[in-house]
Amino acid sequence: MVAPAVTPTAPLKRRRKAKADEGVITVGRSRSGTILANTAGVVFSVLMLFPVYWVLNTAFKPADEVLALEPGFWPSNPTFDNFISAFNAPLFLKDMRNGVIITLIAVAGALVVGFLGALAIARFSFYGRKAIILVVLVVQLVPFLALLIPLFLMLQNVDLGFKKFDLTDSLPGVSITYLVLILPYTIWTLRGFISGIPRELDEAAMIDGCTRAQVFWRIILPLTGPGLVATSVYGFIQAWNEFIIINTLNSPENQNLMAWLLQNQTTRGTAWGPLMAGAIITSIPVVVFFLIIQRNIATGLTAGAVKG
Amino acid sequence: MSVVDSPATRRPNDPDRPPQNRIPGHVAPRRRKRNSSVVPWLLAVPALLFIAGLLGYPLFRMIILSFQNMRLRELISGRTPPWVGFDQYTRVLSDGVFWAVVGRTVAFTVVSVLLSVILGLGIALLMRRVARGVRMFMVVAMMFVWALPQLVAAQIFRWMTDSDFGVVNYLIDKLPGVDYQNHSWFVNPWQGWSVITTLVVWAGIPFLAITLNAGLTQVPKELLEAATVDGATPWQALRNIILPILKPLLTIVTTLSVIWNFGLFTQAWVLRDGHPEPQFQTLATYSYTQAFGQARYSLGSAIAVITVLLMLGVMIFYIRQMFRIGEVD
Repeated sequence: MVAPAVTPTAPLKRRRKAKADEGVITVGRSRSGTILANTAGVVFSVLMLFPVYWVLNTAFKPADEVLALEPGFWPSNPTFDNFISAFNAPLFLKDMRNGVIITLIAVAGALVVGFLGALAIARFSFYGRKAIILVVLVVQLVPFLALLIPLFLMLQNVDLGFKKFDLTDSLPGVSITYLVLILPYTIWTLRGFISGIPRELDEAAMIDGCTRAQVFWRIILPLTGPGLVATSVYGFIQAWNEFIIINTLNSPENQNLMAWLLQNQTTRGTAWGPLMAGAIITSIPVVVFFLIIQRNIATGLTAGAVKG
Repeated sequence: MSVVDSPATRRPNDPDRPPQNRIPGHVAPRRRKRNSSVVPWLLAVPALLFIAGLLGYPLFRMIILSFQNMRLRELISGRTPPWVGFDQYTRVLSDGVFWAVVGRTVAFTVVSVLLSVILGLGIALLMRRVARGVRMFMVVAMMFVWALPQLVAAQIFRWMTDSDFGVVNYLIDKLPGVDYQNHSWFVNPWQGWSVITTLVVWAGIPFLAITLNAGLTQVPKELLEAATVDGATPWQALRNIILPILKPLLTIVTTLSVIWNFGLFTQAWVLRDGHPEPQFQTLATYSYTQAFGQARYSLGSAIAVITVLLMLGVMIFYIRQMFRIGEVD
């Protein structure tokens, strides 16, 4: 942390100026301190961004420059070769398609199931409500990694009574696993959005003759729209980024892009250029979505911590 | 929706709070009560079924499995593995390697959480002090880091610390009198762990700094100005005003960091090429390699059960905090 080198009492004139600068804490402001702080802020940001810059720099270099003893800090002969060889790599497109399918099924399922569950705990007071809240919170903390062993055994032998299925090494098996993986968070976040809608709106509509179903379709669903978008995007990110479960349950033909990135390293002598290009392609949807909804993510994780 | 809900935005529709301004004898609330025991359960049933089927049941199976001895033979034949009682647990708990893994995981958690929380708080305070443009730059930089998938971040660090062509070796080698050409970062466990810790802290700072910065906007400016007028040093203002106000938020983010970092898997796994050496095993990777690498499924389950038990205290604390919020909302 940068210690502000200052006199404790800021001169009045300076304080007035600081007031215009909204949201800045005014303890101990001085010119040299501000310059120091700004410099520290810029240095910090550059350091944080260095790995991001480095992956871009590598991905656009031709193969011989990637493995140069003197790494160039700028791709002087920029090329898309690495991206092309990533796309042409075995299973890249297949795994990308798999990832999209799995993620869409998981997110859509979690959204429908989770919304109903969230509705129950946000809008009704009933016997067992607290128990459900507790369950939703507890399962969020169960390390999924620890459940891999029994999950594997379970999916291997799914008995539906009339027929037995082996859901390992298949897309449906992973899809429902991911659905459950993102379900607790979905319920918890949607609960927050639904309880943000004033209850008086429901009551007014019901006085005007709406049934419960109509209240749901005409009031709650439209007003939760933005929340549904934010929650589904976060679910998308979680499902898209997962690789341990899919890498354990499925063979490479039925994996997603993240697992593809992992597989790529086991072949001796990593092809760094295509790997970094693949990493960029894999990250783009996540980064874009993340930047759109970042506000809501922080809310979901810490909502109400201040009230607590 | 703001990043941090302030007490001022407390919603007026708590289900547990008695409705105000209600005419005595009004029928609406009573009718709601009557319907409500069937409808909400119907709504919650699908979610509960999914959770029970794919989280509850595996959890139960995991505990059962830890009292059996399941190896590859049982996995292939599908026969019920033999029951061995507490054998797996005695085996794990009397194994020096296991305790080394526990100690390493705890040490890593303590160091990485302390570093990330202190740095995150420092950056959050710094964000309050800098010019608007610089603050924007900091937020954008952190957003990109935050958005990167864990696996991608780990792959980038693996590339940067590559012994032959990594940029880190190149830059350190530039320092006068240092020879870091072809230096391997994972021969010495201390160096290897500092790479892993750097990766985890780097990736963790954005969440902490941005959340805590939002929390800092709740600190009343008047309070700080009054303290300054009364002659408080910046350090005193931090200790006696900012930290107490920030405490609830700080507790939650620290708890979350502990839970996340204790379960460290991806970073150690990727940086060690999917085959972490004994000195780079954490509880998560150890349980995984025992189960899937050595086909000791029961032993792996026992380790997983012990891991959850070790974390139970922190988890209960977190759940109690969150439960209070969920109950009120």
